[in-house]
This record gives sequence, C-alpha cells and structure tokens, in this order.
Amino acid sequence: MSLAPETEPLIRLRGIQKYYGEYHALRGIDLDIRPGEFFSLLGPSGCGKTTLLRTIAGFEGVSEGTVTLGGQDMTRVPPNKRPTNMVFQSYAIFPHLSVAQNVGFGLRKRSDLNAAARQTMVEDALDMVGLDGYGSRGANALSGGQRQRVALARALVLRPKVLLLDEPLSALDKKMREQMQVELIRLQRQVGITFILVTHDQEEALVMSDRIAVMFEGEIAQLAEAEALYRRPIDRRVAEFIGTMNFLPASVSGDRVTVAGLGDMALSELQSTATTKGDTVAGFRPETATLLFEGQTTSDRVAEGTVSEVVYFGDMTYYDVTLEGCEQPVRISMRNVFGRPVLEIGTRARLAWSPGAVTLFRPGG
Amino acid sequence: MNQDSKRGLTLIAPPLAYALALLAGPMLAIVLFSFWTQDYLTINRTLSLKNYAEALSDPFYRAIMGRSLVVSGSVTVITVLLAFPVAYYVSFRVRPDRKSLWLFLITIPFWTSYLLRIFLWKVMLGYNGVVNSALTGLGLRDEPLTWLLYNANSVVLTLSHAFAPFAILPIFVALEKIDRSLLEASRDLGENAFTTFFRVTLPLAAPGVVAALLIVFIPTVGDYVTPAQVGGPNGMMIANVIQAQFRDLNNAPLGAALSVVAMLIVTVIALGTVWLARRLSRGT
Repeated sequence: MSLAPETEPLIRLRGIQKYYGEYHALRGIDLDIRPGEFFSLLGPSGCGKTTLLRTIAGFEGVSEGTVTLGGQDMTRVPPNKRPTNMVFQSYAIFPHLSVAQNVGFGLRKRSDLNAAARQTMVEDALDMVGLDGYGSRGANALSGGQRQRVALARALVLRPKVLLLDEPLSALDKKMREQMQVELIRLQRQVGITFILVTHDQEEALVMSDRIAVMFEGEIAQLAEAEALYRRPIDRRVAEFIGTMNFLPASVSGDRVTVAGLGDMALSELQSTATTKGDTVAGFRPETATLLFEGQTTSDRVAEGTVSEVVYFGDMTYYDVTLEGCEQPVRISMRNVFGRPVLEIGTRARLAWSPGAVTLFRPGG
Repeated sequence: MNQDSKRGLTLIAPPLAYALALLAGPMLAIVLFSFWTQDYLTINRTLSLKNYAEALSDPFYRAIMGRSLVVSGSVTVITVLLAFPVAYYVSFRVRPDRKSLWLFLITIPFWTSYLLRIFLWKVMLGYNGVVNSALTGLGLRDEPLTWLLYNANSVVLTLSHAFAPFAILPIFVALEKIDRSLLEASRDLGENAFTTFFRVTLPLAAPGVVAALLIVFIPTVGDYVTPAQVGGPNGMMIANVIQAQFRDLNNAPLGAALSVVAMLIVTVIALGTVWLARRLSRGT
C-alpha cells in the first residue's frame, strides 16, 4: 500500500539534533511520515532509531529541531499530552493490575465515558488482539505473546493517531514472531492508524513496512519502500545491512568498468548508483547469479571458478565460489530443485550472472 | 521425609535449636508465668486469669499501653513519611554508580551504639543542651526551653532518628524493583508525573512501605531504653512498666501478662496493616 507523496504528512520531523553530553545521538533528522502508513526505523543497535522513536513519543526532548504531529508543533509537549501511544520493548504491563485494568488504564482520563462504555471499549480491544475473556486475569499470569497483545490493546484502545512500537517482537520466539508480524499487519489495516516500528531485524522491516528508513550513526542513510531498499541500496552499509551482498573490487575507466572475477562491461549495463572514476566496489546479491550444472547453457554471462564451501539448508544450498582473478569468494544461493545434485567442495563451477543485477558503489562507503 | 529435606533439616538444626532455646523457650516461660500469680515472695503456680484481668482493667496500665501505641504509631508514621522521599531520591534521582555511597551514608548512624545515640539526643535537647544554648546564645530566648526533653515528644524524636534507616532500606528496595518503563507507560497513557506516582509508583512500592511500617512499629512499641533515658515520667512506655514489674516490683507474673497483652496487640495491628495494604494496592 503506497500513498501518494503529496498526502499531507502526519508526522513531520525537521532538523532533529540530539546530544547526550558529548555524544551526538541524532544528527539532523528530516522525516515525513504519512497518515495510515506502516513505517519502520531500521538499523543496528546504537544507530539512534529508538531515540528517534522516543523523541516522537515525547520521552526524549530534542536538542534542536521540531516535531510536528498532525500539523501541531509538539516539540515541547510532554508524552501524556501527545496523540501517540507506545508498545514498549518490555511491554511494560502493570504487574499490580489485571488485564482489563491494564487495557483500561488510559481510559480513566476520558471523562466523557461512563463505566459501562469503558468496559465495552476494553472488551472490544481485547477481542481485537485475540484475548477475549482474559480481562480478569492477573498480569503476571500471562505468557510473553499475551503480554504483547495486552500492550497492543492498551495502546490501541485510546485510538492514537500514531502507534509507536519499540522492537515489539524481539522478546518472542521465532514462530510467535512470525505469527505476530502477520497479526500486526492485519491490525494496522483494520484500525488504519499510523504504525512506526523500530527494529534491528531487516527481515521484519521488509515483511511489515510500507516504507523503511535505514539509520546508521544517528542519520537516515536511506528512506525507501521495501523492494527499492533491497534492489537499489544507496551505499555499501545499507546493502550489507539489508540481506546479503557480494562485494568485489572494481575499476572504472571511461564508460567501462572492470569487476574482479566477472570481467569487463559497459557502465550503462549496470544498475549503477554511483558514477565514479578509478577504483571502486561492485556488488550483487547471492540469488541474482546461478551455478550452471553439467550441460546447462545460458544467455547470461559466465564466470569461471571453484566451489570452496557448501552450506546445505534443505530447501536452499549456499555455495561459496572462488572466481578466477578474485581472492574473496562470492556467495551464491541456489534453490534445491528436485533431482539436482549438491555440488561438492573443489568442483569447477560456471557462474551465470547478469550485469543488470550488479550495483556500483562509491569506494569505501 | 525424603533425602533432601532430611539433609536440609540437618543443616539448619544448630540455628534451629538455638532459636528454640532462646526464643520459643522464653516465650513459653512468659506465657506460663502470665497464668501464675505472685504471692509476696513466692510464686503461686495455680493457673489463673487474675493478671490479665488486672493488666486489661487497671487504668494505669491501659494508659501506658495506649501511650506506647500512640508514641510508636507516631514514630512509625513520621519515620516512614520522612523515609519515603529519601528512598525515592536515592532510587530515582541519584546516579546508579553513586547509590551504594548514599546507602552507605544512610547507615552511618549505626556505627555508633544505640545507647550513645540516645545520649547524644540528651546532649542536644537538655536544659543546657545544644538547642537551648543556641537559642539563649543568639538571644532568641531568655530562659532555656524545658519542654524539649523528658516527655513523649523527645521519645518520638529519638526513636524516629534511630529507626530511619530501617524504613529507608525496604522502601528503597521496593522502588528499585520498579521497572522504569512502567512509569513511561503511564505517562504515555495520559497520566502526568503526579498521577503516575499514585497509580503506579506507590502501589508498586506498597510492599516496601508495609515492611517499613512493621519494621519500625514492632520494635518501637517494646522499646524501653529510649523512654527510660529521654522519656521522663510522662514518656514512660509499656516496656518500662514490664521491666519494673519483673525487677523493682517483684511481680513477674503480672509483667508476663502485660508482655503477652502487648505482643497480642502488636500482632493484631501488624496483621491489620498487611491486610489493609493488600486491599489498597489491589487495583485503582
């Protein structure tokens, strides 16, 4: 679901700077988040993504810059006066209250509601997250997944303009995490509230988000939709962080580029993100190249090499192939088609690849 | 009995025997004495409720018991009320690496003996004491104040000071255990700092507060050193009377009965406090 770019942004961050003493946590963040969007802040730990989320929630003040929510300047507004609600990483379920009291916690301020209306809202919210009938349980009698659902219900019952999720799935096991990912997407579509998710898990961000901002060292490195982020990473850091990429030394001269192991090609053939001169770096994803088995032919280009490592995954096999003229082996992922043998280490291999899948990066970055 | 519990019992046998000999034994002796009667120099060992009748009906004992409860109740309330902000400050405001230093400073009064601290209060509050010298020296008063020492107020003051760390530490521990994200969650859900305190912080600190109330109340009801030293005749408490029965008045059975009555009253109040706190902290 992608929205027209001219939609008035719900959240507008301008020139956000945040210092903790000497430490520069956020370095000039400009960001627009659209209404109804599922937006992710993705990055390694310490990149400032959680700080940015807490800035939107109001738990962290900014050293410079403005936070606008729904057209109103919220830069100096405390969290209890902001139209945002948060699902905390630890879920922050009140241990002294029952499930229903937890979910109804924020409704006490709503003087327009009587007790019966509040109870109905609490029950509806529990129903929405699949916890109908759990209202009278104590908060300590819940599993991790259930606590997460209570935290969601507690935030959503207040109908915030923005729901902030701070690594909400990191404490769950793999199966539960996948289930909750699907459920979060369903919930988001159902309620139509803007979700902002903080995560260090690139897969989670790709699966769930409409748009993703990748952050490094307090800056947004790239802001794009999931597919664009994967296919056209803006620099080497983003390419490495999102999925896997093989990097090969390359050298540009004129309108041609020579990539170690792959050979010579025209710049115009590449999916180039950086035009440059001299020594640089080229990259391609493991699934964009294939190993040719005996008798197979291809219309793609072919590079020669030797299989140096085989990792068998059941449905997939990862091969490390040392190409001629390149010391660093490249990783190739192959689907294990029925009847096809798994190659052994030391086998001579032919690699079919296409220049269109090769990205050229600025040297170093 | 399985192997594990046998081994456990063997392990705790020495302290258990010690505790039984020095706690349960004397307790039983006290209870037994309380049903006997003093017959001038000898003890009449026929069981009777005469001592209890006297302990509960004599207006003097009732007044002293009542005063003990009021003094100790005041000490408890004052100490816990003053201890809470200190514990809160150390837990919430002091930098994590400075907390042990603060706790260390709080326990410094324990480096001097209880008796010495009481004498120091006498020095502070006495007729020629620090407070009076200061007041007269500064010309604020012509005559030294006489109501500072030897009354119930000085007992409350001395005991509150002596028991402050006992109240601060359990409250501090309870506050430390509160997950700070709960306070943020409360802010996030629309409560301000003030209402968050009453809806989240205080209910979660309740176990520590109850522990502090009991730790201060139970021993202070039975304290006899402080009232004996700074209480004067109007600051006398039940333990002083019990001591007098055992020693000066040579009526151990009555002293025993007064002890049992005092213990029962304290037990009932303690259980009532726990029950009330449970009810209050459950749900808001």
